[in-house]
Amino acid sequence: MYQTIRRVAGPALAILAAGAMTVMLAVPAIASHLVVRTSFPSAATVGEGVSLAVNLGTPDGAPLVGATVTYYLHMSFAGVEGEGVIGRAVTDDVGIGAIHYLPRAAGLHEVRIEYRAPGAATVEEVLGTFDVAGGEQLVRSAGGPDIPGINPGLLMAVLGGVWLILLSVAFRLVGIARASGRADPPAGAGPR
Amino acid sequence: MEPIIQWRTRLEETALAPVRRTSRRYWALVAALVAVVGWGLYAYSLQLRDGLIVTGMRDRISWGLYIATFVFFIGISHAGTLISAILRVSQARWRTPVTRIAEFITVVALICGASFVIIDLGRPDRVLNVFIYGRWQSPIIWDVLAITTYLTGSIVYLFVPMIPDLALFRDRLTGSTSRWRGWLYRTLAIGWIGNAAQRRSLAAAIGILMILIIPIAVSVHTVVSWIFAMTLRVPWDSALFGAFFVAGAIFSGIAILIIVMAILRRAYRLHEYVTEKHFVYLGYLLAAFAAIMIYANISELLIHGYKLEEGAEFHLRQLFLNDFAPLFWFYLIGGLVGPIVLMLLRATRNIGGVIAAAVLVTLAMWIERYVIVVTGLRVPLMPYQPADYSPTWVEWSIFAGGLALFALLITLFTKVFPIIAVWEVAEDQEATVAAPHPAGPAVPESRAPIGG
Repeated sequence: MYQTIRRVAGPALAILAAGAMTVMLAVPAIASHLVVRTSFPSAATVGEGVSLAVNLGTPDGAPLVGATVTYYLHMSFAGVEGEGVIGRAVTDDVGIGAIHYLPRAAGLHEVRIEYRAPGAATVEEVLGTFDVAGGEQLVRSAGGPDIPGINPGLLMAVLGGVWLILLSVAFRLVGIARASGRADPPAGAGPR
Repeated sequence: MEPIIQWRTRLEETALAPVRRTSRRYWALVAALVAVVGWGLYAYSLQLRDGLIVTGMRDRISWGLYIATFVFFIGISHAGTLISAILRVSQARWRTPVTRIAEFITVVALICGASFVIIDLGRPDRVLNVFIYGRWQSPIIWDVLAITTYLTGSIVYLFVPMIPDLALFRDRLTGSTSRWRGWLYRTLAIGWIGNAAQRRSLAAAIGILMILIIPIAVSVHTVVSWIFAMTLRVPWDSALFGAFFVAGAIFSGIAILIIVMAILRRAYRLHEYVTEKHFVYLGYLLAAFAAIMIYANISELLIHGYKLEEGAEFHLRQLFLNDFAPLFWFYLIGGLVGPIVLMLLRATRNIGGVIAAAVLVTLAMWIERYVIVVTGLRVPLMPYQPADYSPTWVEWSIFAGGLALFALLITLFTKVFPIIAVWEVAEDQEATVAAPHPAGPAVPESRAPIGG
């Protein structure tokens, strides 16, 4: 009898432990009462706006209305890396929350979306990515109309003109220095 | 009236007197100014050692006392331009006794002003970045070009009309002064003997310079204003800023000229040449520019207040009601309305009244520069609490050192160079004596009653 108990107890404990672990690991999934679908563009271009949408619904298929969704984007600026909030949205009547985002750099964009199920204690998240093509540099505003003649060349021409006039004054000073040995003609002598 | 020869001799002696005699009070003044400059240098050495952390400037308010003082000094540099060039172009004879002082103020103020930009950089070696990485599209580069050109032009404009007076010093002081002074006057006089050819060349050079220096000076303070106006800050968002800054520059330039004139007049007994008339005429100019400044302020503030773009309300509140209200109201009432009142009242339309007005204007215009710089940066660009700025003792010490350097350079200048344009004053006097006086006997203009 004792031997039998010992034979059964080991596997039983192992099964219980495995079950407990399974339950523990499954809790977040079970806790998420929501069905989450993201809708990201398959391709995007620098400087062209895209819509980043998330659709939240309950397991029975009903839309989750009025939930706040926060979008984070992994960013890198001046050697500092981290996440930045790129927008917030509130899900509408069909459970969709969306933001409009203007990609400013090329490459793979990793977006993390945070949301909270009604009544849930913890914030849940979903990840998504989309690829942005285009120039490597940040988007710059347009330089304005290109008016012929209005350019650094004009600035240099004006500045050069001023310095030429100053140079002409220097020549006058040379003239003064060179005329130092010249005596005035006596009155009435007239020009020579 | 005494013969013109005697009058001219006395004029020359008056001009030579500061070089010939030096009192103990002069050296005491120089020592005091050197001490303040030294204290400023000590504070600057701490800033060089520890960085800009020793100042009150941080990331959000990154311009403060230094840049305000830079703008102030560039402003007062317009003293020489206005008094000398504009009055010379308009052939206003009364200008002659004050032109030299005005021109020297220009040069000294530019040197001191430019120094404050370098001080503000924190690391002075980064000045080189302007030349290495500068972009033609940047107002900073325009500013460097404009100030460099203006400084060069101002030095030339100071030097050229001084040549005959330097020759006078060369001739009258040879043998009775130190060797280095003799060499200096001989070199700078460039062989001037006053013959017809030299006079023609001198007249042509002055003619070119007096025209050229006016647009250069206007461009300088316009470009200084663009450093502010071309950034995306609500309080600085104004197309009027260029004209506003130029008017303010001339305004403060006249005020500082009056103060320096009053000090030198008393110190070197120039009462015969720098008369009440000069003060009152400059006082009229001061009042006229005060009116222009009032107009510019109304135009500027009313437009901001009427449109009330985001940030404008905060800006107007900080100016009129909150943090900066005492300073700003002093600027408006004391610095703009006060001088006009002083010049309108007969009882204060004299040397004392004009000096009082000039002191008010000088204080007010420095405050105005400070308020423009700091309040402009203080308006939050994002929804955070507005930043605060107050200068540290290091900044105040460097500021005091800069002011002392300005005074010191002028003090030293008066001991080396002629502070009165002797030949111009003499020519003016000779022309006045030669002119017919239908109403009575000839009276030197410098002694003529004030028409007021």
